[in-house]
Amino acid sequence: MSTVKLNTLPVQTFSWLGVNEAHRELEQSGVKAVTLSSDKNEINVLQSADYEITAHGGENKTAVMFIDPCGKTEISTSVSVENSSSVRLVQVFEGREQTVANVDARVCDNASFELVQLFLGTSDTLSEINTQLEGRKAGFTANIGYLLDGNDKLDINLIARHLGKKTNSQITAKGVMNSCCEKIFKGTIDFVKGCGGAVGNENEDVLLIGEKVENKTVPLILCAEDDVQGSHGASIGRVDEEHIFYLQSRGLPEEKIVQLMARSKIAQIVNTISDEQVRERIFNKIGRDNDNG
Amino acid sequence: MSEKTKVADIDRSRYDFRFEEDESNYLGSGLTPELVSDISHEKGDPEWMRELRLKSLEIYNKTKMVDWGPSINELDVSRIITYIRQKSRMNTDWNDVPDDIKQTFENLGIPQAERESLAGVGAQYDSELVYHNVRKEVAQSGVVYTDLESAMHDERYAEMIKKHFMKLVPPTDHKFAALHGAVWSGGSFVYVPKGVRLEIPLQSYFRLNAKGAGQFEHTLIILEEDSYLHFIEGCSAPKYYEAGLHAGCVELYVGKNATLRYSTIENWSKNMYNLNTKRALVSEGGKIEWVSGSFGSHVSYLYPMSILNGEGARAEFTGITFAGEGQNLDTGAKMVHNAPNTSSYMNTKSISKSGGISTFRSAVVVNKNASGSKSSVSCESLMLDSISRSDTIPAMDIRTKYADIGHEAKIGRISDESVFYLMSRGMSEQDAKAMIVRGFADNVSKELPLEYAMEMNNLIGLEMHGSIG
Amino acid sequence: MSQLLTITDLSVSAEDKPLLHGVSLNIEHGSTHVLMGHNGAGKSTLGLAIMGSPEYTVTGGKIEFDGADITNESAYERAKRGIFLSFQNPVEIPGITLSEFLRNSLEQISGKHMKLWDFKKMLKAAMELLNMDSSYADRDLNVGFSGGEKKKAEILQLLMLEPKLAILDETDSGLDVDAVKTVSQGINEYKSRTGGSLLIITHNTKILESLAVDKTHILSAGKIVSEGGAELVYDVIENGFDRYNSKE
Repeated sequence: MSTVKLNTLPVQTFSWLGVNEAHRELEQSGVKAVTLSSDKNEINVLQSADYEITAHGGENKTAVMFIDPCGKTEISTSVSVENSSSVRLVQVFEGREQTVANVDARVCDNASFELVQLFLGTSDTLSEINTQLEGRKAGFTANIGYLLDGNDKLDINLIARHLGKKTNSQITAKGVMNSCCEKIFKGTIDFVKGCGGAVGNENEDVLLIGEKVENKTVPLILCAEDDVQGSHGASIGRVDEEHIFYLQSRGLPEEKIVQLMARSKIAQIVNTISDEQVRERIFNKIGRDNDNG
Repeated sequence: MSEKTKVADIDRSRYDFRFEEDESNYLGSGLTPELVSDISHEKGDPEWMRELRLKSLEIYNKTKMVDWGPSINELDVSRIITYIRQKSRMNTDWNDVPDDIKQTFENLGIPQAERESLAGVGAQYDSELVYHNVRKEVAQSGVVYTDLESAMHDERYAEMIKKHFMKLVPPTDHKFAALHGAVWSGGSFVYVPKGVRLEIPLQSYFRLNAKGAGQFEHTLIILEEDSYLHFIEGCSAPKYYEAGLHAGCVELYVGKNATLRYSTIENWSKNMYNLNTKRALVSEGGKIEWVSGSFGSHVSYLYPMSILNGEGARAEFTGITFAGEGQNLDTGAKMVHNAPNTSSYMNTKSISKSGGISTFRSAVVVNKNASGSKSSVSCESLMLDSISRSDTIPAMDIRTKYADIGHEAKIGRISDESVFYLMSRGMSEQDAKAMIVRGFADNVSKELPLEYAMEMNNLIGLEMHGSIG
Repeated sequence: MSQLLTITDLSVSAEDKPLLHGVSLNIEHGSTHVLMGHNGAGKSTLGLAIMGSPEYTVTGGKIEFDGADITNESAYERAKRGIFLSFQNPVEIPGITLSEFLRNSLEQISGKHMKLWDFKKMLKAAMELLNMDSSYADRDLNVGFSGGEKKKAEILQLLMLEPKLAILDETDSGLDVDAVKTVSQGINEYKSRTGGSLLIITHNTKILESLAVDKTHILSAGKIVSEGGAELVYDVIENGFDRYNSKE
């Protein structure tokens, strides 16, 4: 066991904010390595493991992981998307113990990597995502949703590094914070010199419901190339008053509205998953009226 | 290539000039308790100030350099001459100001500005206030505008200064705040009594003129209940080859329902390290409005902070940063919501050109007790070529659900479409681009008094024409 | 006819700016009223104030509905009493489907659980009447809807929720000829099925063609400056508002 520095912000900022890095004690012992070779993989992750997914020659691979281990867990996923191929990775975190997850991806010419991460009532999760958009027109889509309650802690550090020309990244995070949970979302779009024509967008939308929540949002854009378009946005707070009024005028009481809006946040992320069965499994867990199928 | 540089040099000459310094005026370089005691003695500090200086030096020696932001490794603080003996006594009549100093100010247009009905001029030459004049009606309204040193010895203000000096920015805040505490010299003290609304702005022009000299001026402004003040701080400095340092400190106390507008155009020469600390404490119903333009300096760390401490307090920050060749400007703002129903608004633009690095850095903190608070941040960056760099590093720390926080940022270059449109209306490419950049900077220029807006537009023009030759 | 809505001497302001000055207006059960006026006269403000928008503060007077003083009630309580407002700019809510939202709404207003099958049947029928593609039911509420689709979705809700009073705030503006016709059909259906009352804010006669207008009110600078029967609508459309404005 040793204390390790994790989720380091690519460019450091005011130290009093406490967002520059996180520390966790890790086992760092050898864990089993698993290569996900089928086109479609659905696995239940119950213990620490290193996963590897490679798509090449026009392959389209999908991996869905339901991560609900008992005990401290470290999960690494290494993704390699070769030319004109695609990888879809869905990770649903449900564990109540400390989980440290890591996704490392490299994306080549005309290839795409689509990541969905959902954190549903996880008590202490640290997730680092590092995507290198190396090839021309390499694409990266990240959809991150979280539903936190109690004393849950979540720390996410996502980095999209644009190296190739005309690369594209679309990062969306939506979440709901209840009770006295704590969350840090750090998202970095890094336009490296030479990535002309690149586009990167990042957005976080946080609904605060709990009285004692602590939300930290740190969206970085690093830019060393002029021919790029980068943007980020964040919106943090209660349900919009205009929304409340509209829904109230249709007879919904405020508690119901908050409940509905909370579900809507997660639903927007879940809806980006193309596999209907996976969506159903998640909706069943978060208890959405399953009436529109 | 050489012609470009020449153009830039000639055009900048209005801002880059200097006169020979008399070496005997230096009190010595290097930082020791003896030096600090000497400064204190020279100034005739009260005992509490002498202690504060020595304590600050101790803190300075114990404090580590910041581990984020642009590199300041080339800055050798001990070699920076921290104090230049008072070269001339206080003057309230322009005719008594020594000729070389006068000419410097003539070049900057200060007396003219005053004649053009500005309220007063406090100009700092090296470390001392040499010229100072507040128009009579301003003084008659009970407004105090004087240099901090003499105010400290005036029994009417001594207690007030002791109560507020470096309380908002304590020497423990960071290494350069400690340095400032130890060697500060010169600066302004403004006091606006209850209910007084000064409709004409007060302005001060700070300048650094000695080779390797540091400037550690302190600005302390206290606004009582229901008062209004617009304070303009302007900076420019001549060009030197040895690293210069500016570690000033601005402390602003905005009383209940009072409004303070604090405008600055910083145009330090391009060898300066500008490590300035500015902070405002805003009481119930009060408002601070920052207007900030950062152009010069080699390296800047500048993030004016607004602490919204009373219910309904508000803060606005409007800023522009232009980083050209050899410049690394790290600027932004900090907003701390510490009371219910407070609001903050940030609107910044940054421009990077010819290898310049500009970083927007911000922090919005909404504490538990700040229910009903609102904050909105908008920052836009413009990259004028691919050898420059522009980073955006905002952070939000929100601890109450009763808040409404919005943030948006954009980065990109001048759109070819806009340039084409302007060119189709008969403009040269160079003029089209300069016009677009001026439009981009409009958020700040429209907040500035006319002569400052014009100066800023000229600066943008100079920077632009240097590149597109 | 007995009174449904009684507005007495209502003054309303937003952010300390007074917008309505002593407006009085009565709507009987089953009647159809038209509210006209220049842009900025306060028509939408009146509609929103009747619905209980938190953006507006009632500074004087009162609003009674079905015999109860609702001046200080929330929009939710008013909706339960049977007031409906068709918004000029309905909000978009991603992540919640139209069908999911409407079912929640219906259950809240009726106070009873509804069988999914019955609900779906009812929704399908209403959508057919409005020429709405059934796929809209599973789309997120108003997200990516065109202006016309949003207005149709509002009328769909009107048909489903069957309120006692429907306020239609320029529901016909920005619609093409066919869409206006469809929306009018929806309004007629509501009227004939429920016998509810209407307060229609409009600039056009098209939407009124198959309705029997009982009363017309003209609002100018936050005051009712003229009232009359159906003929007033046509007079205004032909001759403009100006002579009513100068009546003050």
